[in-house]
Amino acid sequence: MTRLTRKTSLLKIYTWFPIILLFISVLNEFDFNYLNLKYFSFNFPFILIFFFTLKEFKNFDYFLVFIAGLFNDTVVGLPLGISSLSYTLICIATAYIRNITIRPNPLKDWFYFLFIISLINSLNYSILTLFFNFDLDLTSYLINTFFTFSFYIIFVSIFKYYLKGLND
Amino acid sequence: MASSRDDFIIAIRSAFLKKSTQQKFSLLTLVSISIFVIVLSSLDFKVIRYLKIGINEVVYRSSFIVSIPENFVKNTYFNVAEYSTFFRQYKNNKKELEQLKSKDISNEIIQYENKELKDLINDYVSSSDKVLAKIIVDHESPFLKSVIINKGSNNKIKIGTNIYDQSYLVGRVVEVNYRTSRVLLLSDLNSNVPVTIAPQNIQAIMIGAGENFGEIKYIKDGIFEKFDENSIVYTSGTGAIFKSGIPIGKLIQRDKDLDVEFFSDFSQLKYVFAEVETVLTAQNNIEKVEDNNDQNNNPIDTKIKILEDEKKIIEESNSKFKEENDYLKIQINKLNDEIYSYKNEITSQKEKIDQFFIDQEELEFLRLNLLYSQKCQTRKLFSTGLKVGTPEYKRCILNRGKLND
Repeated sequence: MTRLTRKTSLLKIYTWFPIILLFISVLNEFDFNYLNLKYFSFNFPFILIFFFTLKEFKNFDYFLVFIAGLFNDTVVGLPLGISSLSYTLICIATAYIRNITIRPNPLKDWFYFLFIISLINSLNYSILTLFFNFDLDLTSYLINTFFTFSFYIIFVSIFKYYLKGLND
Repeated sequence: MASSRDDFIIAIRSAFLKKSTQQKFSLLTLVSISIFVIVLSSLDFKVIRYLKIGINEVVYRSSFIVSIPENFVKNTYFNVAEYSTFFRQYKNNKKELEQLKSKDISNEIIQYENKELKDLINDYVSSSDKVLAKIIVDHESPFLKSVIINKGSNNKIKIGTNIYDQSYLVGRVVEVNYRTSRVLLLSDLNSNVPVTIAPQNIQAIMIGAGENFGEIKYIKDGIFEKFDENSIVYTSGTGAIFKSGIPIGKLIQRDKDLDVEFFSDFSQLKYVFAEVETVLTAQNNIEKVEDNNDQNNNPIDTKIKILEDEKKIIEESNSKFKEENDYLKIQINKLNDEIYSYKNEITSQKEKIDQFFIDQEELEFLRLNLLYSQKCQTRKLFSTGLKVGTPEYKRCILNRGKLND
């Protein structure tokens, strides 16, 4: 009986894993910046949100994504609401692509992801420079977009294993 | 055509408004809330400010806890890297320490003098306390360079408080919560610091490059050649944002750019000092003294007080000089001993050389004696020679048998 309860709670944690990972990543910002590789950075939450909302993962609550955005703003030091808007826009984009797609194609998803993150990063850059007078390096944004796009395919293959494990 | 537009609108509407069974809010609601929050943030609305402070308190602590595993990996990585260069660093540090020790005494004297002069010209005297703060969040975002420290308004930290690593400037506080604060690092693109470049004494503005160095901007044309690798950048105090005379880094010339290599490594910061200041004018100081002590009511007493302070400073510097003198005396005695021993050595060596020359002359005489003794010696029948052993005989032998020069 105890073993069964433990198994159920482990399964529960496993099903909540993506959202836990999202919160850990926004609080921790794990992006290997301490390696001091010049210009190297990527946005892991973008990949995570895009993939799991596209797959309409049951425990990936939009409201929690919104809260994660607020946390990210606090940690990074951006004005409150910027990341929440970005994350919610990704959710909208994935909801839209789900509605118009009959046969999903990973390659199409990948390039659609590039389009979405470019759009969102441009929006972020514009809001921060125009309304909040931030001095930002556009090159860093472009390189961040490039690495996020490049890493998407790697993380997607890992996430697919996770989903497979969950279905089994 | 109309049908494809309808499909697009339906898809968009569905994306915005449709809630699946698991979702509590539609995306349209969340987007609206986000925009609303951004607008209120840009207007610096009070509710948002308090909301942000509340979130900050929770999130910074949570972030610190969540970052523990990553920090462990990061620290291990840096420790391994540090150990590999440990010995070289130790040697460099030892050398540097020796140099610094010698400079320390003169610096202290200059500080006393500076303080005294500030008092005399009625300038402000800032009695500053440095509060040790721990860095709880340091994520090195590629866009913004900032860190979170565990001291806030309850420790008298204010917006603009200067933050140090040892005695080097690191940045200033841009956001204060009750128990935490955000420090904008000098390397951030939004950081502007009025600086002086020494020893050329040139004023400029240093702007963060977004990397681990700063850039010198707004400098006069045609003075690029004046700088060398020994140029040091420190705060000028212009604009009263930063205190004057705080070291920042070394000047580096790259092509036609002037960059600043920071003395402090911002990626390695663990603890920093926040300077909590209480600015008092010299006049106020005098008034305080007057309030506390009725006997100090007239300006003569104040003057005496200043003179007493001055005397104290001079006594302290004198004692330092005395110590230095004693040390120098010991050194001189040591050197004298060395000179005496060297002198003795020289005398003995001289004696040896003289003996050597004498021996050589003797040897030469004996050699020539064998050859020319017949010519110089007295003969029994015809007494034309010289008697053996006389100086004349020796001279004759040395002249190779010639009786007369």
